[in-house]
Amino acid sequence: MIKIQVDMEKCQHYGQCVYEAPNVFKLNESDKLEYTATADDSELANVRAATDVCPMQAITIVD
Amino acid sequence: MIVGAAMGGLRTAESLRRFGFTGGITLVGAESHLPYNRPPLSKDFLAKGKSLADIAFPIRHEELQAEFILADPARSLDIDGSTLGLESGAKHNFDYLVAATGLRPKRFSFPNDLNQGRHVLRTYDDARSLRGAVAPERRVVIFGAGFIGLELAATLRTLGCTINIVAIEEIPLAGILGDTFGREIRRRHEREGVNFHLGLSIEDLIGTTRIEGVVLSDGTELHCDILIEAVGSIPNVDWLTGNGLDLSNGVLTDQTLRVMNELGTSSDRVFAVGDIARFPYVAQSLPARRVEHWNIPIESAKWVGRQICHQDKPGLIPDLQTGERFNPLPSFWSDQFSISILSYGEPKLANESPLVEGEISDEFIMSYRRDGELVGIAGIGMRRELNKLRGEIRL
Repeated sequence: MIKIQVDMEKCQHYGQCVYEAPNVFKLNESDKLEYTATADDSELANVRAATDVCPMQAITIVD
Repeated sequence: MIVGAAMGGLRTAESLRRFGFTGGITLVGAESHLPYNRPPLSKDFLAKGKSLADIAFPIRHEELQAEFILADPARSLDIDGSTLGLESGAKHNFDYLVAATGLRPKRFSFPNDLNQGRHVLRTYDDARSLRGAVAPERRVVIFGAGFIGLELAATLRTLGCTINIVAIEEIPLAGILGDTFGREIRRRHEREGVNFHLGLSIEDLIGTTRIEGVVLSDGTELHCDILIEAVGSIPNVDWLTGNGLDLSNGVLTDQTLRVMNELGTSSDRVFAVGDIARFPYVAQSLPARRVEHWNIPIESAKWVGRQICHQDKPGLIPDLQTGERFNPLPSFWSDQFSISILSYGEPKLANESPLVEGEISDEFIMSYRRDGELVGIAGIGMRRELNKLRGEIRL
């Protein structure tokens, strides 16, 4: 299981992470980011990719 | 050997380890800082007093096992001799080399070529110097109406500065997002009190020891305390000369980001990553291009790390055996006042750009088509709808 944190002070809701890890991140109907705080280990590569492409560098995978 | 210790270099090292590279990795950087995220420099770093620690990329040193050589830029490369020379005189040998040296700001020279009060913005050091000069009521002239110029205009205006933007183009961002989009950006900036002097250049500077003003090409004089040159960038490829590479605009690569010599032969050991790589299109019959967007170093670094790791395992070279080619989707965003632009693809290639949804004066999405084919999308707001369209872009 991996734990995910998004710094919502930094997040600007660009949704780049949604494209990389759609099972973990989504934009809601108001275009705001929602995410699951934990994900299966099989999502690690996707979440890492999401972390990399976040323009605000707001996503952290908690060890 | 990774030449360039910014985001592209760091992501290359990470990619190499992720794909199983067990050799030594050395990153060489011109700056004295470990890799950090540049986009905040024109925004929160100036406006909210952020520190270097706030924008530094996290580095997992135990996993990365990489050596960083900082403040020692590359000065020469001998590909046949496998030798990289640094400014300090140090020489390094390599099996593989990744060129990720990025860009530097273009500078102008004027008859009265004063230095005090003049700024550019690319690095942390540039931003710190600018931050030290900025205060409410300061009069700022920004030369250039691209993303950096407009973002700085918004940030500094919000801090209480007087802003005059001078630009050679008639409409800001028109070359990137088209006339309609550009005119709307101008309107929104003017509403916030930013002044534009478009279709004009700066001919000279006024002042004796430090800048007191600028003279425009129509004779107008603008008084200012600070001049920021934001007129584009130059690829840092001088150190690659002498190897027969095509360095006419960045460094020319093949479809797999291997650098090519003037005869069109690809190197099997030297790759380019990020802003300096001039790589071919896959779906468009257009000459190879460089892409100066933030996600390109990330995408190219991932690609090159995999290429190097699979190089010695012929069964695993995906590109050469299956024809897979580097084909990233350029992506960029920009925050200016409450304007939040998001774009995918290369809108500048379009010959028509219809509005898809929304109102230009509010939130909207424009699509950019070249001979009917979708080459880009851009919008203000409407993120969810915009993100749905990105998969249809063909470059």
